[in-house]
Amino acid sequence: MTDPKQRITEAEAIEQAKQGHEAAFETLYHLHKRRVYSLCLRMVSNPAQAEDLAQEAFLQLFRKIGTFRGESAFSTWLHRMTVNVVLMQLRKKGLPVVSLEETLESEDEAPRKEFGTQDAKLTSSIDRLQLQRAIDRLPPGYRTVFVLHDVEGFEHNEIAQIVGCSIGNSKSQLHKARLKLRDFLKFMRAEKAKTG
Amino acid sequence: MVVLQQARIDYTTTVLTVVLVTCLSAASLAETKKEYSYTVGPKANISVETQYGAISVKPGSGNQVLVTATFKSDNVEVDQQQNGNRIEIASHLLRGKDAQTGHIDYELLIPPDATINLRSCSGPLSVERLQGDLTLEGTDAVVDIRNVENGHVHVRTMRGPVTLTDVRNGHVEIDSISGEIHLKAVTGPLVQARSGSGKIFYDGDFGSDGNYKFTTHTGDIEALVPADVSAAFRAHSVLGRVRHDFPLQPRHSRFREEAGRSFMGTSGLATSEVLLRSFSGKIRLKQR
Amino acid sequence: MTCSEVERVLPELVDGGSDSAFPADFESHLKSCPACSDLVSDLKLIASEARNLAESEEPAPRVWVRIAAQLREEGLIRDADTRPVLVPASPQRRWTSTAWWLAPVAAAVLAAGAYVVSHKPVPQVATHVSAPAVTTPVPQNSAPKSPDNAAKPPVGASTAQPVRATHPPAPAPKSAKPPDVVASAAPPIAEPEASPEDQQFLSVVSTRAPSLRATYENQLQRVNANIREVQAYLDRYPGDLDARQQLMDAYQQKALLYQIALDRIQ
Repeated sequence: MTDPKQRITEAEAIEQAKQGHEAAFETLYHLHKRRVYSLCLRMVSNPAQAEDLAQEAFLQLFRKIGTFRGESAFSTWLHRMTVNVVLMQLRKKGLPVVSLEETLESEDEAPRKEFGTQDAKLTSSIDRLQLQRAIDRLPPGYRTVFVLHDVEGFEHNEIAQIVGCSIGNSKSQLHKARLKLRDFLKFMRAEKAKTG
Repeated sequence: MVVLQQARIDYTTTVLTVVLVTCLSAASLAETKKEYSYTVGPKANISVETQYGAISVKPGSGNQVLVTATFKSDNVEVDQQQNGNRIEIASHLLRGKDAQTGHIDYELLIPPDATINLRSCSGPLSVERLQGDLTLEGTDAVVDIRNVENGHVHVRTMRGPVTLTDVRNGHVEIDSISGEIHLKAVTGPLVQARSGSGKIFYDGDFGSDGNYKFTTHTGDIEALVPADVSAAFRAHSVLGRVRHDFPLQPRHSRFREEAGRSFMGTSGLATSEVLLRSFSGKIRLKQR
Repeated sequence: MTCSEVERVLPELVDGGSDSAFPADFESHLKSCPACSDLVSDLKLIASEARNLAESEEPAPRVWVRIAAQLREEGLIRDADTRPVLVPASPQRRWTSTAWWLAPVAAAVLAAGAYVVSHKPVPQVATHVSAPAVTTPVPQNSAPKSPDNAAKPPVGASTAQPVRATHPPAPAPKSAKPPDVVASAAPPIAEPEASPEDQQFLSVVSTRAPSLRATYENQLQRVNANIREVQAYLDRYPGDLDARQQLMDAYQQKALLYQIALDRIQ
């Protein structure tokens, strides 16, 4: 939070929520709902599931709000809780949270084929909707690291701690995710050009 | 020494007093049974109402209705009358009654084709192996109906759970504010179950080319069906999650599907229609 | 530096689209290799554009509705309860007096529900559902998340106004909410008073069957809460036919409760 007035407002809402005031809970919800929901949606690519996960993240937060002492930013606390809720769900479903493969994979994974050839590069801006769709197409492991790092701003050491991998693996997965996204975006652009 | 003797006397007096009170209490709560017998024609109509107490109904022989009332105290009486083919039995509570002293349990043996109307606050209510129409109502009563064929079944409870097992070929309508509803091998031309916050659980094949409607507000709905079920399904929860665990054939309908909140499709020849609706409960269709 | 060497060090270098300086040989390779240069440029673009997705999605209002309901159920929402004290139970009487008025009341409850359900405007759902009062900016590029959501109200619309039922009967006998201290929060909303029928109902139950009063009161609160919940949802999505049917079902549940009580106390 950068706005002092807003920071004070959130602090007051937290104190009121500890007393059980519904309006205070609702204020906190509205202040953070977009971040929480967007994170869930990016990670699971399913709106109904994302709603359930967002709901669970807020509920877990509100249940523990009595223990919040302001030692860290509220949003950071909520953010971490949301990530944990989502990762727990992915693990429960048996989906890979992140691949354990640290080395570059086989040829058909490409980046290798990108080098030495000159494809048209992405223009100076990317259609956000296309980027969303491309992220939805990523394998779950790649998607997790990409969303946590590039979308949500976690550092590699934080990601490594959260998902239980090495920093090197996190960087490697991120790189592969970006390469795949690049491929998807170019493909979508080419398709769009064909259909006019 | 004198003090010790006095203490011993006091102890003995106390024990004797306790024993005496216990015996008197037991006497006042001693069960008494009364039997009532009626002769009826085909399709008799029998009503039993008690505020506190169980009512159990089973098939008897011939054209006799045999009622056994078990009294827990003499603070309650049985009002009973017969008008032709109609029998009415009701517990009549006297002053100072409560759930303990106002308690009468009824056991009935009736012709299988008789129509039965039962009402009890506390219950339980149980009916088995009949073929007439059944109407059961209980506030907190546990309702259990099994092996009933051809008759219409109507059940209403406030909180009492309702269980139907092997009920076939009649209309079934169950309403509960918050009781759970369990339906096992229940089929018929119309099977309708509604609960506000109670769960509805169905284990069967949705057979008989019937119309099945299960509705809750917050309660979950779960249906367990065989692989060869023949039904057209539509499920929708306004706020809850909806899923099915086996493939359904797409179904053309004016209703829109919403991933995670509704599904529709057919299985087999789709001879039955199944509608599962909830406001915020989860809905799940599973294969046995 | 060769292309394959660039490929090897890229994961370490391209991070967050930052302008952190690359090694000199890396830079000079990029200057001479359009393919690698385009690749690096694309990867940085993807990373920087991804940041814009962080708060791009708006959850449907139903998420808050569900959270609030759960918080209430768990007792985490603890607003002051100042329900009016009902008529105290008079000395016990036999259960033979009639409460003849309950039957028409039950019918009236059902009729009221049917009237409310049938007289709500039903705008076309796909494109003309008007969003409730918007108090946060709608994202420019908001769009339905999938074709399945096309029928739902626009996901970009948002409101800070809490969901409340506004249609009778909605008798949750609670006090008005405490005034908000948060500038951006919702205005205070008063919970509706218990309807006269519900108060009379509980009064009669207190008199005729005091031992069951708590049970009936609890069930009445449940059914009223259900009605309020669906009504609040329909206020936002009046075109939702399933929700409309659910509202009818909720009123029928209330009528059922009245009928069960009528059967008990007659």
